[in-house]
Amino acid sequence: MLNNFRSLCLVMTSLFMVSAAVPALAADDSFADYKYVLHISDMDPSKQTLILNNASNLLQGYPPGAVEIEIVAYGPGLRLMFAENVNAQRIDSLSQSGVKFTACGNTLKAMTKQLGYEPKLNPDANVVPGGILRIGELVKQGYIYIKP
Amino acid sequence: MGEIKQFRRALLSAVCTLGFLSAGAANAANWLMLQGTESPGASARANVWGFIQAQYSKDSSSTNAAGQLVPPKLIGPNLNAQSGFNINRARIGVRGTGFPIDSHVNYFLLTEMGNNGITHGGNAFAKLTDASVTLNYIPGARIRTGLFKTPGAEEGLQAIHVFDYINFTEVSNGLLLERVPNKGFTNPNTCFTPPGVPNGCTGNVGPFTEAQLQGGASENQFNAPVSAFRDVGIQVFDAFDVGKDWELSYAGMIGNGNGIEFDNSDGEYDQYLYLSAEKQYGGKGPRAEGLKFFTWSQSGKRLLDNTDDGTDNLKSYKRDRAGLGVKYLKKPFRVTAEYITADGMIWVGPDKPNFYFTNNIAHGNGADAKANGWYLEGGWYIPNSKWELDARFDTMTRLKDRKNQHKFDKWTFGLQYHFNLKTRLTVNYEKRTFKCDSGVAPCTAPPPNTPNFNLEGVGNKVGVQLTAIF
Repeated sequence: MLNNFRSLCLVMTSLFMVSAAVPALAADDSFADYKYVLHISDMDPSKQTLILNNASNLLQGYPPGAVEIEIVAYGPGLRLMFAENVNAQRIDSLSQSGVKFTACGNTLKAMTKQLGYEPKLNPDANVVPGGILRIGELVKQGYIYIKP
Repeated sequence: MGEIKQFRRALLSAVCTLGFLSAGAANAANWLMLQGTESPGASARANVWGFIQAQYSKDSSSTNAAGQLVPPKLIGPNLNAQSGFNINRARIGVRGTGFPIDSHVNYFLLTEMGNNGITHGGNAFAKLTDASVTLNYIPGARIRTGLFKTPGAEEGLQAIHVFDYINFTEVSNGLLLERVPNKGFTNPNTCFTPPGVPNGCTGNVGPFTEAQLQGGASENQFNAPVSAFRDVGIQVFDAFDVGKDWELSYAGMIGNGNGIEFDNSDGEYDQYLYLSAEKQYGGKGPRAEGLKFFTWSQSGKRLLDNTDDGTDNLKSYKRDRAGLGVKYLKKPFRVTAEYITADGMIWVGPDKPNFYFTNNIAHGNGADAKANGWYLEGGWYIPNSKWELDARFDTMTRLKDRKNQHKFDKWTFGLQYHFNLKTRLTVNYEKRTFKCDSGVAPCTAPPPNTPNFNLEGVGNKVGVQLTAIF
């Protein structure tokens, strides 16, 4: 009887642990077999199209959930993540497909100083203190680094 | 109230209504937006671009019974031969956002170095055709200022390097591609009298025999460039995404009314209005697909010494134009149609805005006359190939209801081969029927006193043009 009760407690505890862990695992996407960090820091507008094409192609090239993609922008490349950017709709679509967009805080500060106001960023963009630091972190975590 | 005046009043109301809309700015492909704005957040600081058009033309018109030729039988802009090679357009420019992190300001600069009415008329090796700055600060009311294409007819407003024919329709060429008259043409110092040709300053010039043309006689006596469908001024415009893939665009502009010349000697300003509604099917850039309805009007005044009496007696004439049309493009098909009407300053001659052909026609009949015309054209992009077939009919009635009313009908059959997206070969065959058709003298006068003495010999024309865009 006691054994049965112990077994039940173990099962319940295991279920609780698994259920608590699943959201955390999903947030990290740690089930992804492939992880890519795509880097844009160019002024050239064609690079914006290219990097978004890269992200789309990577999404299509793997089964759902098998790839994680983060686009990191700094320097002149930050224009990709301006709210007014002509590619905003496409960015939103990619974001809904799981692509992460990361904007460099240092660049944002510098641009704010030049413009006299802070440029409005795409709501899908997540600001980090430094774009180059973020790339370093991701590479250390095993992300494949691509600069189109 | 005149047709054009009613047209303009209705158009003005519509443009004002649209101007108060506060819908978000769209980024659709229309000529106002393509030429006047840059992609926000994604434009270059300085994007160098341009195109070259190399051409061969042959006109098979015959001389009149006296062995003479008139301008429609000669190859422009030189008007001294019936066949020849030409670089009719060679343009290079730069456009972009000077301070790329701020999309509120963009610019557009373009120069022409080909041999055409822009450079030949202005006797210039190169001529500035566009130099404009756009301010995108006010939602729904972008402001563009400088030298640029005026909002108007599709043929004039569209990017010429994607124009599907070699030559303009007669109605666009005759009524919209303005020749700026030499206001002081009676001054002998501004006239050109070739040796042995005693009619350089008074009356019309020509027609000339081939020998006279080879000896230096010139049918083209204009001393200023054609307007090139442009003006120097200020324009308020924008485009609005109104849902379900429909986009509304408007433009209102005032300008000097002197084409690409920086001059406003008469102190008057031209007013331009434009309105379009387009159902977008997809794509972007100048070949974006859609169904567009558009209407426009232009209104201005011109100073002209029209009396040919040896004294300076300038008079102000109105120059009003209006039109409406539709364009459908969804590959493999394209259809465009437009109706254009004109009141005042009807160009009727290559040397002076008086009359077109040398006959006993009273001077001054174009300055206060009316004209109209229309065209219908279509294209078929042959599926799974690089070939395109084009066909166009255009007609213009000039000096409408006057005793020397003329009718210009033209069929154009075209074949294009697209080497790639930016390089193509265009072959055009034009079948032309030009005649003086009022039914009274001088149209019915016996030769050589009828304009038809010269017009009956206007024949077909062939052109081959290679366009390379970079």
